[in-house]
Amino acid sequence: MIKFRSVGFGYQGAESPIISRASFALNAGEFALVCGPTGSGKSTLLKLMNGLAPHFTGGELSGTILIDGKDVTGHKPHELAELVGYVNQQPEGSFVADTVGEELAYGLEQLGFSPAEMELRIARHAELVGIAQLLEQPLASLSGGQQQRVAIAAAMAAGQRVLVLDEPTSALDASSAAELVALLAKLAKEQGITVLLAEHRLERVLEHIDSVIVVNGDSSVVKSAPREAFKDYRLLPPVVELSQRLKLEPLALSIEEAKRGIATPLAFSKRPNQVIGKQTLAVEKLTVKYGNNVAISEVSLNARAGEVVALMGANGSGKSTMLWAIQGSGARSGGTISRPETTLVPQRAADLLFLNTLAEELAESDKFNEVEQGQTAKLFLELSNRTDPKQHPRDLSAGQQLALVLAVQLVKGTPLILLDEPTRGLDYEAKRHLVAAIRLMQENGRTVLVASHDIEFVAQIANRVYVLEEGKIATQGTTEEILGATGLMPTQIAQIANQPGLLLAEQIGDREN
Amino acid sequence: MPLNPFRASALHPATWWFLGLGLATIASLEVSWLPEVLVIFAAIVLMLTCRENAPWSKSVRFYLWLGAFVVGVRLLFRIIFNSGSTDSAVAFSLVELNLGGVHLLGQVSWLTLEAAATDGLRLAAIIISIGMANTLANPKRLLKSTPGALYEVATAMTVAINLAPQLIESLQRVRKARALRGRSQGISSLNSIVIPALEDSIEQSLGLAASMDARGFGRRGSLTKTQLIATRTLSLGGILLIAFATYFLLATQSQMLAIAFMVSGIIALTLTIRIASTRNLRTRYRRQKPGIKDFSVIGITLTTVVLVVIL
Amino acid sequence: MTVKTSLYSKLVISFTAIASLAMFAWPLIIQTTSVDENRFAQTAFIVLMPLMLVLVLAEFAAGDLDSKQLAVLGVLIALNAVVRVLGAGTSGIETAFFLIIVGAYIFGSGFGFLLGTGSLFVSALLMGGVGPWLPFQMMAAGLLGLVAGLLPKSNKRWLELTLLVSFAIIGSFAYGALMTMWNWPFLAGVGTDISYSPGAGIGPNLARFFKYESLTGGLLWDTGRAITTSVLILLTAPALLATLKRAAGRAGIRR
Repeated sequence: MIKFRSVGFGYQGAESPIISRASFALNAGEFALVCGPTGSGKSTLLKLMNGLAPHFTGGELSGTILIDGKDVTGHKPHELAELVGYVNQQPEGSFVADTVGEELAYGLEQLGFSPAEMELRIARHAELVGIAQLLEQPLASLSGGQQQRVAIAAAMAAGQRVLVLDEPTSALDASSAAELVALLAKLAKEQGITVLLAEHRLERVLEHIDSVIVVNGDSSVVKSAPREAFKDYRLLPPVVELSQRLKLEPLALSIEEAKRGIATPLAFSKRPNQVIGKQTLAVEKLTVKYGNNVAISEVSLNARAGEVVALMGANGSGKSTMLWAIQGSGARSGGTISRPETTLVPQRAADLLFLNTLAEELAESDKFNEVEQGQTAKLFLELSNRTDPKQHPRDLSAGQQLALVLAVQLVKGTPLILLDEPTRGLDYEAKRHLVAAIRLMQENGRTVLVASHDIEFVAQIANRVYVLEEGKIATQGTTEEILGATGLMPTQIAQIANQPGLLLAEQIGDREN
Repeated sequence: MPLNPFRASALHPATWWFLGLGLATIASLEVSWLPEVLVIFAAIVLMLTCRENAPWSKSVRFYLWLGAFVVGVRLLFRIIFNSGSTDSAVAFSLVELNLGGVHLLGQVSWLTLEAAATDGLRLAAIIISIGMANTLANPKRLLKSTPGALYEVATAMTVAINLAPQLIESLQRVRKARALRGRSQGISSLNSIVIPALEDSIEQSLGLAASMDARGFGRRGSLTKTQLIATRTLSLGGILLIAFATYFLLATQSQMLAIAFMVSGIIALTLTIRIASTRNLRTRYRRQKPGIKDFSVIGITLTTVVLVVIL
Repeated sequence: MTVKTSLYSKLVISFTAIASLAMFAWPLIIQTTSVDENRFAQTAFIVLMPLMLVLVLAEFAAGDLDSKQLAVLGVLIALNAVVRVLGAGTSGIETAFFLIIVGAYIFGSGFGFLLGTGSLFVSALLMGGVGPWLPFQMMAAGLLGLVAGLLPKSNKRWLELTLLVSFAIIGSFAYGALMTMWNWPFLAGVGTDISYSPGAGIGPNLARFFKYESLTGGLLWDTGRAITTSVLILLTAPALLATLKRAAGRAGIRR
């Protein structure tokens, strides 16, 4: 169905191509995962399928791309619209219409289908992805999972045989993500559609995929079978990391496989979880109301120097509101807060960036915070790998942007640091950098309060966890209590091993052969 | 969902515009104050009973104030810059001033006042009639029915209408976030709010464009050579005809000639749009077709306008 | 996107500009003294201006506007509408023009025309302000953008700024004069010392117009517009130019 013959692609001004000599083929009905570190060219590879690269990205393309036997190299996206359907990370950002039906019709209108044919196709595809009863609904009223289903139906309604999806589950919770991936597997198997899916949370897709295309940072692109691909791959979910460490053969790709394949109990080292510092933050009966709407109701919490405290809970449970209220610029209707000087890193870190180059941002930060020249740059390099200082801040990867904003904020040296969903959009590599940075803050005796719903991430850094539910504390305890085998939100490793105190793959040493 | 017959969305947005322009035409043709007041009254009643909860429906008060303002200014100018009319019954007299050759104040007659008020009311009626159409017609739905030749322009407008509220949100968000980094003064504080919000919107909008393009937006047929020559001749001709009509209106007394040029200009325009629209290969899903209600409203409006012209 | 340099396009633009100027400045040059005929002309222009606007818009959009340019155009129009809403109500403060000028300067005159017309149109739709004057405002702002797009480019920051600010001042007064000229016969009617006098010719009528402008505070208003636009350009242009140049690069828009 898809054939790449020695395809190369490079961005303007870049020293080396991002993809070179990529040759592989995909069959009809094949479900392929595209993975690799951020900035490696995953998105670029997907965009090559329908001409978004180079037409929406700029850059030089070489080689030949065939889809359904047709040479599509260099064609514009709208010329390939009936061959390839494309689904984006954020469906709400790519919707063109107001209601579900109109959204499904949009592509058909552009391609000139007759109104009768449109009705037929819309009904059929809505049925196929399970949104038939939603056709008259406004798009804004749908859940994230439903919105992605609409986007998928819209991308294939004209009879596209190839479906390309760029991290479609990144805004979804675990269960709707699982349903969506199952739907994609069904479309591949039953409708014979070739599905290419980029995803960095591999645990969500591993059990369904037929093949893996790894886009390495060094511009090579390799296609292979899943188990083969992950033998020595570095960016992996905890399950696979565990089976790598245990030298499991064949590799376990899901929690179920791991449970069957691993003999428990496992020997493990304890998570360090001792805090000696003095109390720095005390919140007493904090209440936040917006009109009659109570966002936070009488929440009390505290934290000590050198402690990492996590606020967990579903979207809308009040995590962000808490952080903004503690920082002081958010609303507060009642209660007391005693805190030292504080910095907050907001969910959308890029909101803080407004200059034209990385270097200017770093220099502005030194000047504004009245620290020695180069201080912010030094911090930035601790948090991220080396990057061209002339780059525009908006062109940095999500991880690098976060590192930059962290550097700008941390250079203030405040004893309390608030982080709002810092792992959003980060891959395993970037998360590893972030974890190291937080551990360093902890060693320096700072207090970190982090709002996150990323269980594995919290298990790596937190001493204690508060779980919020509808603005109230539902439960609280040590990380072992909340994220351990018997807790409310067990980590993957806790689910597999079911041993108290064992949460992370890193607690288990590499097994000798 | 049954539509309330008195709701704005019960009629095609173009029908509202037809009605609004019809009322405006009647207002501009009438020469006494009573019909103008009736038009204003009708437009206000329609606005208040049919409007829905949409952003463009919130400007009723603006149009009413503007109407009142125009009448007031018209009267005021007449009183202040009144060059001493002596023709009829005097309403009141004020001290006459002379300011560098400009006569101010002085005697004001009833007739002057009535003429000024009627002129003002006529303008107010036009403003409020068009305001009514603007308040009741959903611009997004209207933009959907633009002819193919203007499809791209209409899409840009729709994108802008959808983006505006999001932009306000992101300006507010960035302003809040900006305070976290510490406030800087002066120039950079304005830029540090506008630039991230603008970057954000451009990113968002280019993403939307990518999604539209990937689904086929931008496909166009090509015009044959004859069609190309025809559209170019017609559109240049149309502009020329309009220019000639303007000339005849200004320089000569031949209204009929001017009207003839205007009408042929309109025909040239319609033909250009027609032919240029054949490049558009798009079809429409559940196009909102004008119904009986629309045709009756259009019919009544047309009849009334014709009656006003004849009588 | 650029204004196509073909003879045909030049003709379209020249005729449009001449005819629009006549429709704005008709009180200065109208020959007939009959009140009815004057009113008829006034009404006819209200019909003619939107027609011409549609023709020119179709001409500018024909074939050249792809999805990326359209996206950038949409953003700038939206920002302009928002900024206009924020500035509305404060007399003498006109916040829409600096973006039209800077945007047109970066993206070229065709884009500038669409940006000018679109900004006025969308902000009027959103906050009320649709009326017979709207097509005239759109045309005036469109022409402003069109000319701003023709300003010469420079690599020197100070030269660029000087150029933009000078144009902002001239443009603000020109726009103000055109719009005041348009509503002059509406607000002052005929027969007062500050109204136009049909058939009197350009000279005497210009003198009357100047009296009207100064006595009714129109000049003050225009000065306010010129100052706000220049100040906004000075404040935001350096950052705005960089951002828009980057967007132009990404959207593949070359002037």
